[in-house]
Amino acid sequence: MSHHYVVTAQKPTAVVACLTGNFTSPTDLNLIIARNNQVEIGIVTPEGLRPLKEININGTIAVMKHFRPPDSNKDLLFILTRRYNVMILEARMVGDTITVITKANGNVSDSVGIPSEGGVIAAIDPKARVIGMCLYQGLFTIIPMEKDASELKATNLRMDELMVYDVEFLHGCLNPTVIVIHKDNDGRHVKSHEINLRDKEFMKIAWKQDNVETEATMLIPVPSPIGGVIVIGRESIVYHDGSNYHAVAPLTFRQSTINCYARVDSKGLRYLLGNMHGQLYMLFLGTSESSKGITVKDIKVEQLGEISIPECITYLDNGFLYIGARHGDSQLVRLSSEAIEGSYVIPVENFTNLAPILDIAVVDLDRQGQGQIITCSGSFKDGSLRIIRIGIGIQEHACIDLPGIKGMWSLKVGTDDSPYENTLVLAFVGHTRILTLSGEEVEETEIPGFASDLQTFLCANVEHDQLIQVTSDSVRLVKSSSKSLVAEWRPEGDRSIGVVSCNGTQIVVASARDIFYIVIEDGNLQEKCRKTLAYEVACLDITPLDEKQNKSELVAVGLWTDISAVMLSLPSLDTIYTEKLSGEIIPRSILMTTFEGIHYLLCALGDGSMYYFIMDPITGQLTDKKKVTLGTQPTTLRTFRSFATTNVFACSDRPTVIYSSNHKLVFSNVNLKEVNHMCSLNAQAYPDSLALATKNSVILGTIDEIQKLHIRTVPLGEGPRRIAYQEASQTFAVSTLRIDVHGRGGPKPLRSSASTRAQNITCSSNILPKPGGGNSTAANAEVGQEIDVHNLLVIDQNTFEVLHAHQFVSPETISALMSAKLGDDPNTYYVVATSLVIPDEPEPKVGRIIIFHYHDNKLTQVAETKVDGTCYALVEFNGKVLAGIGSFVRLYEWTNEKELRMECNIQNMIAALYLKAKGDFILVGDLMRSITLLQHKQMEGIFVEIARDCEPKWMRAVEILDDDTFLGSETNGNLFVCQKDSAATTDEERQLLPELARFHLGDTVNVFRHGSLVMQNVGERTTPINGCVLYGTCNGAIGIVTQIPQDFYDFLHGLEERLKKIIKSVGKIEHTYYRNFQINTKVEPSEGFIDGDLIESFLDLSRDKMREAVLGLELTLYGERKSADVEDVIKIVEDLTRMH
Amino acid sequence: KCPDPRPSRLLSSNYNLTSRHFRTQAGFDTGRYDRRHVHTHFAPWRTLRSADYEELEFNCCDLVGKYIIVGTQQGHGRVFNMNDGIEQFSMNCHNFSVDAIKANRAGDLVLTTSLWRTPTSILWNIADNEFKSKLRLTEVTYCEFSHTSQDRLLGTQNESASLFDINTGTKVSTFTPTIPNQYTKNRATLCRTDELLLSDGVLWDVRSGKEIHKFDKFNQCISGVFHPNCLEIIANTEVWDLRTFHLLQTVPVLDQRNCTFSPMHVIYGARLGADRDEVMETYDTSFNVLDAYDYSSIATIDVKRNINDLSVSANGSLIAVVEDHTSYDSKQETYVKIYAVGVKKSERSEEEDDEEVPDSDEEG
Repeated sequence: MSHHYVVTAQKPTAVVACLTGNFTSPTDLNLIIARNNQVEIGIVTPEGLRPLKEININGTIAVMKHFRPPDSNKDLLFILTRRYNVMILEARMVGDTITVITKANGNVSDSVGIPSEGGVIAAIDPKARVIGMCLYQGLFTIIPMEKDASELKATNLRMDELMVYDVEFLHGCLNPTVIVIHKDNDGRHVKSHEINLRDKEFMKIAWKQDNVETEATMLIPVPSPIGGVIVIGRESIVYHDGSNYHAVAPLTFRQSTINCYARVDSKGLRYLLGNMHGQLYMLFLGTSESSKGITVKDIKVEQLGEISIPECITYLDNGFLYIGARHGDSQLVRLSSEAIEGSYVIPVENFTNLAPILDIAVVDLDRQGQGQIITCSGSFKDGSLRIIRIGIGIQEHACIDLPGIKGMWSLKVGTDDSPYENTLVLAFVGHTRILTLSGEEVEETEIPGFASDLQTFLCANVEHDQLIQVTSDSVRLVKSSSKSLVAEWRPEGDRSIGVVSCNGTQIVVASARDIFYIVIEDGNLQEKCRKTLAYEVACLDITPLDEKQNKSELVAVGLWTDISAVMLSLPSLDTIYTEKLSGEIIPRSILMTTFEGIHYLLCALGDGSMYYFIMDPITGQLTDKKKVTLGTQPTTLRTFRSFATTNVFACSDRPTVIYSSNHKLVFSNVNLKEVNHMCSLNAQAYPDSLALATKNSVILGTIDEIQKLHIRTVPLGEGPRRIAYQEASQTFAVSTLRIDVHGRGGPKPLRSSASTRAQNITCSSNILPKPGGGNSTAANAEVGQEIDVHNLLVIDQNTFEVLHAHQFVSPETISALMSAKLGDDPNTYYVVATSLVIPDEPEPKVGRIIIFHYHDNKLTQVAETKVDGTCYALVEFNGKVLAGIGSFVRLYEWTNEKELRMECNIQNMIAALYLKAKGDFILVGDLMRSITLLQHKQMEGIFVEIARDCEPKWMRAVEILDDDTFLGSETNGNLFVCQKDSAATTDEERQLLPELARFHLGDTVNVFRHGSLVMQNVGERTTPINGCVLYGTCNGAIGIVTQIPQDFYDFLHGLEERLKKIIKSVGKIEHTYYRNFQINTKVEPSEGFIDGDLIESFLDLSRDKMREAVLGLELTLYGERKSADVEDVIKIVEDLTRMH
Repeated sequence: KCPDPRPSRLLSSNYNLTSRHFRTQAGFDTGRYDRRHVHTHFAPWRTLRSADYEELEFNCCDLVGKYIIVGTQQGHGRVFNMNDGIEQFSMNCHNFSVDAIKANRAGDLVLTTSLWRTPTSILWNIADNEFKSKLRLTEVTYCEFSHTSQDRLLGTQNESASLFDINTGTKVSTFTPTIPNQYTKNRATLCRTDELLLSDGVLWDVRSGKEIHKFDKFNQCISGVFHPNCLEIIANTEVWDLRTFHLLQTVPVLDQRNCTFSPMHVIYGARLGADRDEVMETYDTSFNVLDAYDYSSIATIDVKRNINDLSVSANGSLIAVVEDHTSYDSKQETYVKIYAVGVKKSERSEEEDDEEVPDSDEEG
């Protein structure tokens, strides 16, 4: 059997639908946004958009519409899912909380109907009498709305129109009347049908208009009293109401289809239109009033400006619009009355959207065992790379430019009654500066008792309202109130202080091998003891272990030369324990700390690694030695308190926060590039903050409570498709699609984008002969025609600057790329596959595989080979190039002459779109014929088909989980796992890949990659997970699939079953139905997968519900079977959440 | 009429598989194009040759799970394992040629029909690698299982149709048109929900036994079949609306062809051996692939041999074609060829008869 855990790390971000209405109350203006399986309810306030609530639906939202029942002053929400569940939702304010209740629900699927191709359509009668939907070929499904009915029942009406493009209800009709755009052999037509609700049938055709524009795609019903409908074509707009007809063909419409609209006013005179180029237009209906009422006189269209490529638009209020997008970031924009640089659109806020994720690279740039994901996100002009890493976020509140900081401390100076700190002491080489924080202002000041002409080693508030400053010369004790020096301690002779540590009452100072113990008294520094150690002291710590105490019994010391951590007891400074640290890197920072009642000693080394031990507070004995790598530079450890728990901040080139959870240390990255020094800061204007010194500045900010995903965007301005990372050149290669427009002098880029801004630009010179004799699309193109131009970008791994753009000549398209080391060749190459894509051919006939070398800022073509089709996938295979080319899988070896030579070949696919390899085995994902396992027989130089899944599946991604287990994603949003049955008795059975696990994800996975979002090499886990595969989806989600053992699966499955019963989902779709595996007509229950999103929702339950959920649940803990209690389950689930 | 807009780059890029591949990933709905693309290629996957089985001639076949059931000219029903082509078991079902063979979904019942000797149709129980006669239906020239529970048989006796209960063997009801159309090859058929029945060009309500509508007669032979969407009837080249009885469209390529529906929403149209006009000697060696959504043509596949029968596997990924090779200079030979849908003919052909590779005449 095969057991898996699947969980979402980043929820889907593509917006399916958005709308504005009064939901939470008759006066609240709400913005509702639908993304895949969630609905977000927000409120429009004078201050901006404020999210109120997010609800999950057990289904993929296909349509979301709103309507207002005739007797209501609030709007209701109608949702239709991909699996034909329907629901009507109402938002109610109960006190301060919103509850979303399911007023009615049902399933409108039909067992016989053939699902309509090209998506479902739904429309609601303006008087809310009926909902109409196009779900099945040749049928129009209606749901008559009955007041207070809790079940939604559908009736199918026969629709003569076979190819339907859009359906809407007309306003101001006695009976509900739909209007459709449909196509037959003669062209596209518009037709209206009146519905008889009592007999549930179409009555008559009120009016129709044959032969509207052949590309007419959208209908906009115009509200009463004007009525009628606006028909949007690609180049023209028509208004029609059965008698009155107006048409306009705006010149500003470029070669792009209008794909969404928003009505601006309730009268229906103004509409916003958006197209696939991200252009926003305003459509005005000019009217005239006569005795017959208001009639449309003319149509005007004006271009307003540029927005994200919209999926949906909704008009909020006061000129503000929300643009929901699935190819770029969603936006809040404002329309200005005057054009600014030719545009009326002012962007206000962007909302991150990763969709569609076409490819991801998982790289561990910092070699921490923690992956960062770089995604190819977005399409066309909204294309971007997104850098995603998990970590703790710093919310920056202020930033001061100050380079060269060597140390930093916060102090409370002169204000004994205030709990807030007001001073920052900054150490620089040869001097010290003091900053006062008054409110949000920062001013430089002086403390007379401090030595400002020396570099400070340490500063602190100590007992008796005194301050301590330690420099290389001396320890200075300063009265806080008078700011004047009251005592000073110097090492005798001209010896200088090397390292120092203090707490409220004690100081330890080291000078070379000598160590001094000083007690702080009122106005006096009393040296108590001194010792000479075996070697020079590298670092020191005297932090009290008991938080309530102001003094320590122990001193921790890190030594040079023998590289050891030594524990000294106080006041005698006697060595009580010595721990040799292996290696030759000296300790740079040592710290005693207590997490959840356990005492630890942390010791960071000069190479960015850190040892940690469990420490006995009496004997100083160190046990349980462990090592982690936190960065690559010398690391400084500082403690800070946040959310009432102790945390340690490790300052380095990879700043890390160390904390404890369930008695285990957790290491979490901070989303800052580099932190040299830090101190906690609790100032009036910056409460519970941190001050962080980077190379050039001081950042004042607060820290997130939990680690989460941080997304950084690198906009490209063109669509990225494939990405590969090359460590040797410290670069990424990204293939992109740019759209150029043919002008008089040849094609020109439409806009500045990554490939046009590159430092170096080269053009592919070696153009393959065109099949059909030089019939180049580029040469024949007419002026104004758009041309796809493909570029190979080489991008710096740190700055994400485009170092090089290599442009291919249309119609040569990049279809795959990878970085690989080939044969015995010491170089690492970029392998790029291209093909000539001619739109009216079913498949490309010719392409090439090109080997590029990026070296010394130059991209050189080393070799190329011609191939007879498109290479969809490339994999490095034991130093060779494995390629899926059309229906073939081929292996090319790299000869000493630096040429690609075909070694073997197999053809048994429709199109070998996806390839993965492990050892000699190759997993192939086909366009329709599911997955196939091949083996490369090295001796014979052939491929052998080992096994295949015989059930047809339209594949979207594949991955090898282990030698026998294979993961696939198919086009209906299902995941499945097939396993090789090596123990089968007959050859026939061995040739099958039985499907052992299946799950409906509800989103289509485009790419799988092995890798982990969190550090792999640190901390132990209570949850036994095996391997980690990350995925990226069409709707912009990122998730994790991991293998789990059977007993753990059984436990989680038990919890899942209980949670299904306890958690009532909005819309009342059964979780089991949601996760059912449905392909075509086959429906099977989900099995072998645990729904991690459901499991993690356990943590959101109230304590009572948790108790209910674990009742009767058994688990095996430390080899012992017992009934689970809430605490156990919380621990396990929390541990699972830490995967992302 | 509005002028046609210029061709759109965005819309046209769906046709090429490579540009479509990236559009699919970006969330555009391209399923229709992939489905059509897949149904333009058919690669021979397994072949059963009559020469390998001593003087056998294949007449008809049906794909059931991993088995293929074949009816022969000699009156045998034979069961082969599809993967290795090895015969599992067989039975002399009729004294004369088996003209039609059809298994139920579970594969435990098989219907055979021989047009020339009584009993013309026999229902067999398949258990323990044996055919056991279960029900003999005399005078029934065409027979099919009901669709939903498969516990009934619909038999055709000239212009009438009779429903039989499989378990009791009794005749449940008979449907005889008041004014018959007298199609020469009437084949009574049930719609997918078993609520409607079409026989001799007349539509019946099964439960009430009442005639609903008599369709106009546009040809002499074919009464028609239900489209799986239960909304249309395909009667030879005519497509009728089941609810309004309007003629929806005419599909000329289906003339005198038998329609087989694939779960992948395509229709295979082929002129089968049993329907062949023996006098005319006009052979048709190709089958059509049509889009079940709109009857548009996807491909015409020429197998260069007469087609005796065509069967589609339950998931639509394989089709079996009984091919009859008659020529003047060699003796007649029949094959059952199983084609993998979507796969292109391999370059290094495992079949020795490469000259008879099917040709795809049209794509789209």
